[in-house]
Amino acid sequence: MAIKGGGFERKSKASQEIPSSSLADIAFLLLIFFMVTTVFRTDRQRAIEWPAAEATQKIDEKQKNILNIWVERDGSIFMNDQPYTIEEVSDVVGPLYAASDRRLVISVRGDREVPYRTIDQLQKELVSAGVVRVVFATELEQRVTRERR
Amino acid sequence: MAILNQKRSKVSDQIPTASMADIAFLLLIFFLVTTVFPKDKGLSIVLPEEQEVVEVSQKNILHLIIQPTGVVEVKRGESTQIQTVSPSEVEGIWRQDVAQNPNLIAAVKTHPDAAYKLMVDVLDALQVAGAERISLQVLEN
Repeated sequence: MAIKGGGFERKSKASQEIPSSSLADIAFLLLIFFMVTTVFRTDRQRAIEWPAAEATQKIDEKQKNILNIWVERDGSIFMNDQPYTIEEVSDVVGPLYAASDRRLVISVRGDREVPYRTIDQLQKELVSAGVVRVVFATELEQRVTRERR
Repeated sequence: MAILNQKRSKVSDQIPTASMADIAFLLLIFFLVTTVFPKDKGLSIVLPEEQEVVEVSQKNILHLIIQPTGVVEVKRGESTQIQTVSPSEVEGIWRQDVAQNPNLIAAVKTHPDAAYKLMVDVLDALQVAGAERISLQVLEN
Protein backbone atom coordinates (compact mmCIF):
# COMPACT_ATOMS: atom_id res chain seq x y z
CA MET A 1 0.00 0.00 0.00
CA ALA A 2 2.99 2.26 0.30
CA ILE A 3 2.55 4.82 -2.37
CA LYS A 4 5.85 6.35 -3.21
CA GLY A 5 6.07 9.78 -1.63
CA GLY A 6 2.51 9.53 -0.35
CA GLY A 7 1.24 11.18 -3.54
CA PHE A 8 2.85 14.47 -2.61
CA GLU A 9 5.29 14.48 -5.47
CA ARG A 10 2.58 14.95 -8.04
CA LYS A 11 3.23 18.14 -9.97
CA SER A 12 0.56 20.83 -10.30
CA LYS A 13 -0.60 21.27 -13.85
CA ALA A 14 -1.09 25.06 -13.40
CA SER A 15 1.77 27.07 -14.80
CA GLN A 16 3.88 29.08 -12.44
CA GLU A 17 4.02 32.01 -14.81
CA ILE A 18 1.42 34.70 -15.29
CA PRO A 19 -0.07 34.24 -18.76
CA SER A 20 1.23 37.15 -20.81
CA SER A 21 0.10 36.14 -24.25
CA SER A 22 -3.07 38.26 -24.02
CA LEU A 23 -1.18 41.33 -22.84
CA ALA A 24 -0.60 42.47 -26.41
CA ASP A 25 -4.30 42.16 -27.14
CA ILE A 26 -5.17 44.34 -24.15
CA ALA A 27 -2.62 46.96 -25.14
CA PHE A 28 -3.77 47.08 -28.75
CA LEU A 29 -7.37 47.32 -27.63
CA LEU A 30 -6.51 50.36 -25.49
CA LEU A 31 -4.46 51.81 -28.34
CA ILE A 32 -7.31 51.50 -30.82
CA PHE A 33 -9.78 52.88 -28.27
CA PHE A 34 -7.72 56.03 -27.77
CA MET A 35 -7.07 56.43 -31.49
CA VAL A 36 -10.78 56.23 -32.26
CA THR A 37 -11.98 58.51 -29.46
CA THR A 38 -9.36 61.25 -29.94
CA VAL A 39 -10.75 64.31 -31.70
CA PHE A 40 -8.34 66.77 -33.21
CA ARG A 41 -9.45 70.34 -33.67
CA THR A 42 -10.71 71.11 -37.10
CA ASP A 43 -9.40 74.59 -37.78
CA ARG A 44 -5.84 75.77 -37.75
CA GLN A 45 -4.44 78.10 -35.13
CA ARG A 46 -4.16 81.63 -36.41
CA ALA A 47 -1.53 84.11 -35.35
CA ILE A 48 -3.30 86.16 -32.74
CA GLU A 49 -2.33 87.49 -29.34
CA TRP A 50 -4.88 86.42 -26.78
CA PRO A 51 -6.35 88.90 -24.36
CA ALA A 52 -5.87 87.78 -20.75
CA ALA A 53 -8.55 87.56 -18.10
CA GLU A 54 -8.71 86.30 -14.55
CA ALA A 55 -12.33 85.17 -14.79
CA THR A 56 -11.52 82.77 -17.66
CA GLN A 57 -13.70 79.68 -17.49
CA LYS A 58 -13.91 76.53 -19.51
CA ILE A 59 -16.76 76.36 -21.99
CA ASP A 60 -19.22 73.76 -20.84
CA GLU A 61 -20.25 72.57 -24.28
CA LYS A 62 -19.33 69.77 -26.65
CA GLN A 63 -16.58 70.51 -29.13
CA LYS A 64 -18.87 70.03 -32.10
CA ASN A 65 -21.23 72.75 -30.83
CA ILE A 66 -18.51 75.37 -30.66
CA LEU A 67 -17.81 77.59 -33.66
CA ASN A 68 -14.63 79.61 -33.60
CA ILE A 69 -14.61 83.02 -35.20
CA TRP A 70 -11.11 84.37 -35.51
CA VAL A 71 -10.59 88.11 -35.70
CA GLU A 72 -7.06 89.02 -36.67
CA ARG A 73 -5.33 92.26 -35.83
CA ASP A 74 -6.11 93.82 -39.22
CA GLY A 75 -9.82 93.02 -38.73
CA SER A 76 -9.98 90.05 -41.10
CA ILE A 77 -12.39 87.32 -40.07
CA PHE A 78 -11.89 83.58 -40.40
CA MET A 79 -14.27 80.70 -39.76
CA ASN A 80 -13.26 77.07 -40.38
CA ASP A 81 -10.06 78.28 -42.11
CA GLN A 82 -12.03 80.34 -44.62
CA PRO A 83 -11.84 84.13 -44.82
CA TYR A 84 -15.13 86.00 -44.64
CA THR A 85 -16.20 89.59 -44.66
CA ILE A 86 -18.01 90.79 -41.56
CA GLU A 87 -21.32 91.14 -43.43
CA GLU A 88 -21.23 87.44 -44.36
CA VAL A 89 -21.01 86.26 -40.75
CA SER A 90 -24.76 86.17 -40.06
CA ASP A 91 -25.40 84.30 -43.35
CA VAL A 92 -22.91 81.62 -42.36
CA VAL A 93 -23.73 81.39 -38.67
CA GLY A 94 -27.53 81.47 -39.05
CA PRO A 95 -27.92 78.06 -40.79
CA LEU A 96 -25.28 76.48 -38.53
CA TYR A 97 -27.14 77.74 -35.48
CA ALA A 98 -30.41 76.30 -36.72
CA ALA A 99 -28.72 72.98 -37.57
CA SER A 100 -27.25 72.70 -34.08
CA ASP A 101 -30.70 72.87 -32.48
CA ARG A 102 -29.87 76.29 -30.96
CA ARG A 103 -27.01 74.83 -28.97
CA LEU A 104 -24.24 76.54 -30.91
CA VAL A 105 -21.74 78.53 -28.87
CA ILE A 106 -19.66 81.12 -30.67
CA SER A 107 -16.11 81.49 -29.47
CA VAL A 108 -14.81 84.91 -30.50
CA ARG A 109 -11.07 84.60 -30.83
CA GLY A 110 -10.02 88.18 -31.28
CA ASP A 111 -6.57 89.66 -31.20
CA ARG A 112 -6.08 91.85 -28.15
CA GLU A 113 -5.27 94.92 -30.23
CA VAL A 114 -8.17 94.70 -32.67
CA PRO A 115 -10.33 97.87 -32.53
CA TYR A 116 -13.59 97.40 -30.65
CA ARG A 117 -15.50 98.63 -33.70
CA THR A 118 -14.92 95.25 -35.38
CA ILE A 119 -15.99 93.25 -32.33
CA ASP A 120 -19.13 95.36 -31.98
CA GLN A 121 -20.03 94.78 -35.65
CA LEU A 122 -19.45 91.08 -35.15
CA GLN A 123 -21.75 91.05 -32.11
CA LYS A 124 -24.47 92.79 -34.12
CA GLU A 125 -24.11 90.19 -36.86
CA LEU A 126 -24.42 87.40 -34.30
CA VAL A 127 -27.50 88.98 -32.75
CA SER A 128 -29.12 89.21 -36.19
CA ALA A 129 -28.29 85.52 -36.74
CA GLY A 130 -30.13 84.82 -33.47
CA VAL A 131 -27.10 83.53 -31.59
CA VAL A 132 -27.34 84.01 -27.84
CA ARG A 133 -24.35 82.29 -26.30
CA VAL A 134 -21.03 83.91 -27.01
CA VAL A 135 -17.65 83.38 -25.38
CA PHE A 136 -14.78 85.81 -25.68
CA ALA A 137 -11.82 83.45 -25.82
CA THR A 138 -9.11 84.53 -23.40
CA GLU A 139 -6.04 83.22 -21.71
CA LEU A 140 -6.13 82.67 -17.98
CA GLU A 141 -4.37 85.45 -16.13
CA GLN A 142 -2.84 84.50 -12.79
CA ARG A 143 -3.47 87.25 -10.30
CA VAL A 144 -1.31 85.67 -7.61
CA THR A 145 1.80 85.56 -9.79
CA ARG A 146 1.14 89.09 -11.01
CA GLU A 147 0.87 90.46 -7.49
CA ARG A 148 3.93 88.65 -6.19
CA ARG A 149 6.13 90.38 -8.72
CA MET B 1 27.63 11.74 -41.31
CA ALA B 2 24.10 10.50 -40.84
CA ILE B 3 24.24 11.52 -37.19
CA LEU B 4 25.17 15.08 -38.11
CA ASN B 5 22.12 15.46 -40.32
CA GLN B 6 19.78 14.60 -37.49
CA LYS B 7 20.98 17.48 -35.31
CA ARG B 8 18.07 19.87 -34.76
CA SER B 9 18.37 23.56 -35.54
CA LYS B 10 18.38 25.66 -32.37
CA VAL B 11 16.56 28.54 -34.07
CA SER B 12 12.85 28.51 -33.20
CA ASP B 13 10.47 28.33 -36.11
CA GLN B 14 7.99 30.67 -34.36
CA ILE B 15 7.92 34.44 -34.57
CA PRO B 16 8.83 35.79 -31.11
CA THR B 17 5.69 37.38 -29.69
CA ALA B 18 6.93 38.14 -26.19
CA SER B 19 7.91 41.72 -27.10
CA MET B 20 4.61 42.45 -28.83
CA ALA B 21 3.09 43.78 -25.60
CA ASP B 22 6.07 46.07 -25.11
CA ILE B 23 5.64 47.51 -28.60
CA ALA B 24 1.93 48.04 -28.09
CA PHE B 25 2.39 49.71 -24.71
CA LEU B 26 5.12 51.91 -26.14
CA LEU B 27 2.74 53.12 -28.86
CA LEU B 28 -0.04 53.52 -26.32
CA ILE B 29 2.10 55.68 -24.03
CA PHE B 30 3.35 57.69 -26.99
CA PHE B 31 -0.20 58.55 -28.07
CA LEU B 32 -1.33 59.23 -24.51
CA VAL B 33 1.50 61.70 -24.01
CA THR B 34 1.29 63.47 -27.36
CA THR B 35 -2.50 63.82 -27.52
CA VAL B 36 -3.72 67.28 -26.59
CA PHE B 37 -7.37 67.69 -25.82
CA PRO B 38 -8.27 71.20 -26.86
CA LYS B 39 -10.46 72.84 -24.29
CA ASP B 40 -11.93 76.18 -25.17
CA LYS B 41 -11.96 78.77 -22.48
CA GLY B 42 -12.97 82.36 -22.14
CA LEU B 43 -15.45 84.85 -20.76
CA SER B 44 -18.96 83.80 -21.57
CA ILE B 45 -21.79 86.25 -22.04
CA VAL B 46 -25.35 85.93 -23.25
CA LEU B 47 -26.30 88.27 -26.06
CA PRO B 48 -29.80 89.75 -26.13
CA GLU B 49 -32.35 88.37 -28.58
CA GLU B 50 -33.02 90.51 -31.61
CA GLN B 51 -35.52 93.33 -30.96
CA GLU B 52 -35.41 92.58 -27.26
CA VAL B 53 -35.59 95.97 -25.60
CA VAL B 54 -35.59 96.26 -21.85
CA GLU B 55 -36.43 99.56 -20.21
CA VAL B 56 -34.12 100.22 -17.31
CA SER B 57 -34.33 103.08 -14.91
CA GLN B 58 -31.30 105.38 -15.18
CA LYS B 59 -30.58 105.09 -11.47
CA ASN B 60 -29.91 101.37 -11.86
CA ILE B 61 -27.23 101.83 -14.52
CA LEU B 62 -23.52 102.10 -13.94
CA HIS B 63 -21.98 103.54 -17.08
CA LEU B 64 -18.44 102.42 -17.80
CA ILE B 65 -17.03 104.32 -20.76
CA ILE B 66 -13.79 102.90 -22.15
CA GLN B 67 -11.60 105.41 -23.97
CA PRO B 68 -8.88 104.43 -26.50
CA THR B 69 -6.21 105.64 -24.06
CA GLY B 70 -7.17 102.89 -21.62
CA VAL B 71 -8.94 105.00 -19.02
CA VAL B 72 -12.40 104.05 -17.86
CA GLU B 73 -14.89 106.81 -17.12
CA VAL B 74 -17.43 105.82 -14.51
CA LYS B 75 -20.76 107.63 -14.54
CA ARG B 76 -23.51 106.69 -12.13
CA GLY B 77 -27.05 106.89 -13.48
CA GLU B 78 -28.22 110.40 -14.18
CA SER B 79 -25.41 112.13 -12.36
CA THR B 80 -23.05 114.03 -14.65
CA GLN B 81 -20.08 113.49 -12.39
CA ILE B 82 -17.38 111.46 -14.07
CA GLN B 83 -14.82 109.42 -12.19
CA THR B 84 -11.73 108.34 -14.11
CA VAL B 85 -10.26 104.97 -13.15
CA SER B 86 -8.14 102.16 -14.60
CA PRO B 87 -9.76 98.86 -15.75
CA SER B 88 -8.46 96.99 -12.66
CA GLU B 89 -10.28 99.40 -10.32
CA VAL B 90 -13.66 98.56 -11.86
CA GLU B 91 -13.93 95.44 -9.69
CA GLY B 92 -13.86 97.46 -6.45
CA ILE B 93 -16.29 100.06 -7.82
CA TRP B 94 -18.79 97.37 -8.84
CA ARG B 95 -18.61 95.63 -5.45
CA GLN B 96 -19.11 98.94 -3.64
CA ASP B 97 -22.02 100.09 -5.82
CA VAL B 98 -23.84 96.77 -6.02
CA ALA B 99 -23.87 96.58 -2.22
CA GLN B 100 -25.90 99.79 -2.20
CA ASN B 101 -28.12 98.88 -5.16
CA PRO B 102 -28.63 95.16 -5.86
CA ASN B 103 -30.51 95.94 -9.11
CA LEU B 104 -27.48 97.59 -10.68
CA ILE B 105 -26.68 96.95 -14.35
CA ALA B 106 -23.26 97.56 -15.84
CA ALA B 107 -23.36 99.33 -19.20
CA VAL B 108 -19.95 98.94 -20.81
CA LYS B 109 -19.58 101.48 -23.61
CA THR B 110 -16.40 101.07 -25.58
CA HIS B 111 -14.99 103.68 -27.93
CA PRO B 112 -14.82 102.25 -31.50
CA ASP B 113 -11.06 102.85 -31.63
CA ALA B 114 -10.31 101.31 -28.25
CA ALA B 115 -8.43 98.00 -28.27
CA TYR B 116 -10.47 94.83 -27.70
CA LYS B 117 -8.29 93.92 -24.70
CA LEU B 118 -9.50 97.00 -22.80
CA MET B 119 -13.07 95.80 -23.10
CA VAL B 120 -11.97 92.31 -22.03
CA ASP B 121 -10.18 93.82 -19.01
CA VAL B 122 -13.34 95.62 -17.88
CA LEU B 123 -15.55 92.61 -18.58
CA ASP B 124 -13.09 90.46 -16.65
CA ALA B 125 -13.15 92.85 -13.67
CA LEU B 126 -16.95 92.78 -13.68
CA GLN B 127 -17.10 89.00 -13.87
CA VAL B 128 -14.54 88.62 -11.08
CA ALA B 129 -16.73 90.92 -8.96
CA GLY B 130 -19.68 88.65 -9.69
CA ALA B 131 -21.63 90.94 -12.02
CA GLU B 132 -24.20 89.10 -14.10
CA ARG B 133 -26.14 91.85 -15.79
CA ILE B 134 -23.73 93.40 -18.21
CA SER B 135 -24.59 95.29 -21.37
CA LEU B 136 -21.93 95.68 -24.06
CA GLN B 137 -22.31 98.67 -26.32
CA VAL B 138 -20.23 100.79 -28.61
CA LEU B 139 -19.76 104.43 -27.67
CA GLU B 140 -21.79 106.70 -29.92
CA ASN B 141 -21.43 110.43 -29.96
